Amino acid sequence: MRFLVAGACLLSLAGALTSAQAPASSPERDFLTRPRRLTVEGRRAGEGYWSKDGKKLVFQSEREPGNPFYQIYTMDMGAGDVARVSPGMGKTTCSFFHPETGDVLFASTHHDPTSKQQQDDELKFRASGQERRYSWDYDPEMELYVQNAKTKTYRRLTNARGYDAEASYSPDGQWIAFSSTRQAYDRQLSAAERKQLDTDPSFFAEIYIMRADADGSGVKRLTTVNGYDGGPFFSPDGKRIIWRRFDEAGLIADIWTMNLDGTDQRQLTNFGAMSWAPYIHPAGQYVIFASNKLGFENFELFLVDIDGRKQPVRVTYSDGFDGLPVPSPDGTQLAWTSSRGGGREGQIFLAQWNHEKALAALRAAPAR
Amino acid sequence: MRRAALLLLVSLVVAGPSVHTQAPAPATRPFVEVLASEKLGGREAGSADERAAGDYVAAQLARLGARPLPGRGDMFQSFSFTAGSRDAGSRVAVTAGSAAPKAFTAGTDVQALSFSDDADISGPVVFAGYGIVVPESQGFGYDSYATLDVKDKVVVVLRYFPEDADQQTRAILSRYADLRYKAMAARQRGAKGLVVVTGPRSPNAGLTVPMTLDTALAGSGIAAVSVSGAVASALFAAGKPLADAQKDLDTGNPHVAGFELPGVTVTLKAAVTRERRTGRNVVAYLPATAPVAGVDKPWVAIGAHYDHLGRTAHSGSLASRDDAGRAHLGADDNASGTAAVLAIAGTLARQPMRRRHLLVGLWSAEEIGLLGSAAFVATPPVPADQLAAYLNFDMVGRMQENKLVVQATGTSPVWASILERANVAAGFDLTVQPDPYQPTDVSNFNQASVPSLSFTTGGHTDYHKPSDTADKIAYEDLDRVASFASAITRRLMDLDPAPQFVKVEQSTQTASRTGVRIFTGTVPDYAATVKGLLLGGVVGGGPAEQAGLQKGDVIVEIAGQAITNIYDYTYALDLLKIGQGVKVVYMRGAERRETTLTPAARR
Repeated sequence: MRFLVAGACLLSLAGALTSAQAPASSPERDFLTRPRRLTVEGRRAGEGYWSKDGKKLVFQSEREPGNPFYQIYTMDMGAGDVARVSPGMGKTTCSFFHPETGDVLFASTHHDPTSKQQQDDELKFRASGQERRYSWDYDPEMELYVQNAKTKTYRRLTNARGYDAEASYSPDGQWIAFSSTRQAYDRQLSAAERKQLDTDPSFFAEIYIMRADADGSGVKRLTTVNGYDGGPFFSPDGKRIIWRRFDEAGLIADIWTMNLDGTDQRQLTNFGAMSWAPYIHPAGQYVIFASNKLGFENFELFLVDIDGRKQPVRVTYSDGFDGLPVPSPDGTQLAWTSSRGGGREGQIFLAQWNHEKALAALRAAPAR
Repeated sequence: MRRAALLLLVSLVVAGPSVHTQAPAPATRPFVEVLASEKLGGREAGSADERAAGDYVAAQLARLGARPLPGRGDMFQSFSFTAGSRDAGSRVAVTAGSAAPKAFTAGTDVQALSFSDDADISGPVVFAGYGIVVPESQGFGYDSYATLDVKDKVVVVLRYFPEDADQQTRAILSRYADLRYKAMAARQRGAKGLVVVTGPRSPNAGLTVPMTLDTALAGSGIAAVSVSGAVASALFAAGKPLADAQKDLDTGNPHVAGFELPGVTVTLKAAVTRERRTGRNVVAYLPATAPVAGVDKPWVAIGAHYDHLGRTAHSGSLASRDDAGRAHLGADDNASGTAAVLAIAGTLARQPMRRRHLLVGLWSAEEIGLLGSAAFVATPPVPADQLAAYLNFDMVGRMQENKLVVQATGTSPVWASILERANVAAGFDLTVQPDPYQPTDVSNFNQASVPSLSFTTGGHTDYHKPSDTADKIAYEDLDRVASFASAITRRLMDLDPAPQFVKVEQSTQTASRTGVRIFTGTVPDYAATVKGLLLGGVVGGGPAEQAGLQKGDVIVEIAGQAITNIYDYTYALDLLKIGQGVKVVYMRGAERRETTLTPAARR
């Protein structure tokens, strides 16, 4: 190989190179071995969640011409085949496999007649060369859908005005927990609340639970604190829900757990930063989450014990974004979303997860 | 022989972490060990060693069932090239006024430039400063010839570019300071000859320019020599001393003009001997096993260069003095790529239902300018528009931490999805780089509008040294690369329609930096994706090592310029001055540090 001309220049003085010194080994390798980029196609991808048998991953990605918003895809972790699950129209987010049937739960706006127009507008905006910071618009058209794994037909699960998304199944497949801003749309808002809804609708997001066979009825609200409550997942034993709670200003978030009826709410973290996207390791002893404790745009993964008694332990050491960690069902791998491949946009990465090292690090961590 | 190879294959499958259980893992090791053996002496293009290596490769291809391309009697494609050049007795005589001519001969005082025409000329002399002309399109007025008439005269110019100019000016002028470019500017203005002087205020002051390898078949249309300080003294004896003239020019002020040297005549003989050699590509194919009628672009090509630097001192060698005379065995560069191609062909040969022909090309003379693949693309035995895709392998044998770099992914929209799918099972820590303008054979196929990929595991401290040996190859990983690429090749066999070609715009930042003469002693890690310049190593005793930099450091700022990638870095190098320390900010792990680096001169 002939390197870049400039490279050749840099290299071209005859003379022995110093014996190679060991590269500064990243502490990340304690927990994550053989990290690698899993998704390559498209502008961005993220939020990969495993099927119960660990053979598939469902994720969101922008990878087809004509739609600048996320769509939902599954990846066969053996053959590598990728298939789109969502209809392809509008915005989608936050998918999850049903543990028994393999049906895919996700949130979508494809029923919105303005979807195509919104896609075209966004593409036009991009073509204009303008840029904006990443923002999520909490589209009140967002509703929960499930795609039947066999028939590939869609069933709509929610009908309330407001953002319904960030949904996941309980381990037995009987329940769905999700986040919704519906409380801001089903009552008369004060002037201050209306202004709040215009500037930051996520303020009204709360955690809800419903039966998996729901038809839009029987939804129960679990949280009542002002500020964005979102990203709920069930514990591996199905007895608790873990989620993130933002403050009213929407800047500081922490990890919480609670019972399925909303009682016994416990705070696991208090970094005074944005700590979010928690997921409980299948062994049940600890939580992996993301926080920007070390810099506003530098999200890293952390571990904290399931009761939040210890100081969290840092997992990743990489510039940019590392977040949305999801361990494989057997606990030996971790899928997460990272910008470490270059650029601002995230892609899904995969690594071997060292459970024993994680337990040891948590044992050694000082008390909170 | 065959049994031994089979045993080896079995032991590898048992020992290695078998990723693909259905297909036997390719065994690259025997190929690398033969190609990188002392017997093949480093496979210098045009040598007997290259011929022997080519014969070996052709025999391996024949063994797995490949054939000469349709209409050809054997697997060899010969091409002619210039392997080297040396001065063949250039002379200069300087006559000033009525004094007796002062004569200088080839050696320390006169040295033809490698691209010079052979010529005997004589004429009055004009000093044209640095001899730099910045094209008007650049919107930066600098023309050393603006006030001079050089028609039928001999032009004397300074080497390099103004020494004391501000950074921005240096950055622009350095791009047009290449001697070939200076010769072209002089020729276009009607000059008879070009005499280059390394000014007294420049590095390498008073020395002639070493003859570099120039693979052009003929001269550049002008007699061009470099001369010593002694010759310069004779030229400038009567008028303004050269040191003073250079000092004025070194400000970079475009209004400082050159001048005639009144009464001075130069008689000049320039003579260059160019050594012509013949290189051989090995090209063969595995015919499709299904009818190709109606298949869109019925060929898929895979290739690698099999030549390396050979036994003797080569301009590309980075050998230390202790290693002088030892063969450059080129195990990674590029016995590894050749072995990968043979392994892929072997895997494909065992697969049924190939809907396209597999063209296998092993190129020669890559190391001296991508000449073999250029010869193939120039007179392709199979028309380039019949190639659905080309996969290139260059230095794929030294994988570290599971990292594999795939370049030229911007040449087709199909690559991202094909790579993603194949890598789910292969499991490499993949870095994709859209840019096809790489210093490897893939760039020739890109020029021919063939959708292409190039695979590499990146540089290392044995690069272009005799120490690039077969025992240092990571064979399990090389086999994995071959498996991965076999799966992609298989996919391409069946893909309908053929991949669409996309022309990637060439970044102006990657343009040739021939004006760079700074030496910092840094070895960039080309596979890195970090923000900044990750050092894969530092040259022992070089400025970077003296500044305390080491492998693994990430340079993020140099001389006040933020560095986010290799291009920023090479660009920033234009702005540095030899011997003048600059602040370097770098990351060591999570710690931000500063040091002062003092660049040295590159010879």
